Amino acid sequence: MPHLTLDKVTVHYDGQPAAAVERVSLDIGKGDFVVLVGRSGCGKTSLLNVAAGLVKPARGQAMIGGRPITAPGPDRAVVFQNDALFPWLTARENVAFALRLRGVPARERARRADQLLKLVKLDNAGDKRIWELSGGMRQRVGLARALAAEPDFLLLDEPLGALDALTRERMQTTLLDLWAAAQVGVLMVTHGIEEALVLATRIVVLAPGPGHVVRTFETHFGRRYAAGEPIRAIKADPAFAAARADLTDAIFEGEAA
Amino acid sequence: MSVSSYTERPGAKAGESDGLSVPWSRPRPKRAGVSARLVSALTILALLAAWTVSAELRLVSPVFLPSPAAVWAKLVVVARDGFVDATLFQHIAASLGRVFAALIVAIVVGVPVGLAIGISKIGRGVFDPLLEFLRPIPPLAYLPLIVIWFGIGEPSKILVIAIAMLAPVALSTAAGVRGVSRERIDAARSLGATRGQVVRHVVLPSALPSILTGLRIALGAGWSTLVAAELVAATRGLGFMIQSAAQFLVTDVVVMGILVIAIIAFALEFIIRRIERALVPWAGRE
Repeated sequence: MPHLTLDKVTVHYDGQPAAAVERVSLDIGKGDFVVLVGRSGCGKTSLLNVAAGLVKPARGQAMIGGRPITAPGPDRAVVFQNDALFPWLTARENVAFALRLRGVPARERARRADQLLKLVKLDNAGDKRIWELSGGMRQRVGLARALAAEPDFLLLDEPLGALDALTRERMQTTLLDLWAAAQVGVLMVTHGIEEALVLATRIVVLAPGPGHVVRTFETHFGRRYAAGEPIRAIKADPAFAAARADLTDAIFEGEAA
Repeated sequence: MSVSSYTERPGAKAGESDGLSVPWSRPRPKRAGVSARLVSALTILALLAAWTVSAELRLVSPVFLPSPAAVWAKLVVVARDGFVDATLFQHIAASLGRVFAALIVAIVVGVPVGLAIGISKIGRGVFDPLLEFLRPIPPLAYLPLIVIWFGIGEPSKILVIAIAMLAPVALSTAAGVRGVSRERIDAARSLGATRGQVVRHVVLPSALPSILTGLRIALGAGWSTLVAAELVAATRGLGFMIQSAAQFLVTDVVVMGILVIAIIAFALEFIIRRIERALVPWAGRE
């Protein structure tokens, strides 16, 4: 079971006076759902891009299964805030994209893509063009497309950030369903405090100047949903409100400094 | 959970009110009265009327300005019996053949050049100055050199038109390539695409709307160099027809030829816009 690890990673962009992230370590195993939260400029997306292999750390190392990460790869599929889908393809062809790159025959591709579309509850949208889909449906296609690469890890960069509040809420349970079904490790960046609590097994709170870890929370609300408890009941639990208050405090702790 | 539930409405189409719009964005009722299209039609009719009246009253000699009726009669005659050894249809076919041959040359050369400019600094360094040098030169200026180099045959005529088309095709391709979203490329790479696969499966399709716009501009540019291209040793073609007619002072054929060139340019523009809509229906909807 490979682990995705960041070991004392420092990110320093060319031409910037200060580092964006300094000496951050993370360890994500299969079945983990790690959520990065923190105010703007704390380097959440930089860390995710390091894990993706899109950004090279100035110091420290990113590794997967003990091997250094040097480039993006299908073992770590990324989903972006703006879905980054291909509008010249149908929803099904978008999902099948990773399979097409590998030369999987067309019929097998379509079969696999339809399975994944079903998994994200878009059974009948396979022939639809991307611009015919709503924001939430597009993000579902994006998730299915990432899963088609059969990744060990899903890297989600504010995947629900552009959605309206109601759609976002139901996409949270979709994410939990996918996480349970696909047996992947997840690293996700979000601005939403409640979102982090609902989804994560571990929440890493970052603060800016340069980005560093303030606190780490182990949480269990996502696992409770996976075990069958209704999401509304979980959110109504006083423990949820308490965790929410703790997390909010942690995020604004660095504020005074 | 159903995807057709109210929380996941497909995006409202532009111009449709979805009941959630803020009051000040409500579309205003269309003002009754003039439309631009009507004004255009009236302008053309007024010009035709002025032309007819001045010809009827002989304000200008028919050698300088034949009447619309005479031009129309000439069109029928040339279509049936021909002018300088070819019918109107054959002239049009010769000209269109040259322009489309040139378009193919411009695509084969211009799209890869534009791609190189868009994706590589070296490509940009090599081709950008060459195109900027070539672009402002009028076709009549390089025509003599092309005749010296390639003779007076058909290839020279096609080349003159192709050179005029090259810059729009290459520069539009480059602009399209540079406009591809970073996230789209990163997403493809994270799904396992190699550099070549990114270019083929992501960059080129993303740039397609821009490339097609370039082709439309190029067709316009190529068509307008037609007369220059047919200056030397042509025996057919609309440009050649006009020049021959001018030498014999057959003004009605000159006017007819100009109108035919204009109408075909208009038709080409219309057709390629249709093709754009069919090939890249997503343009402007992302």
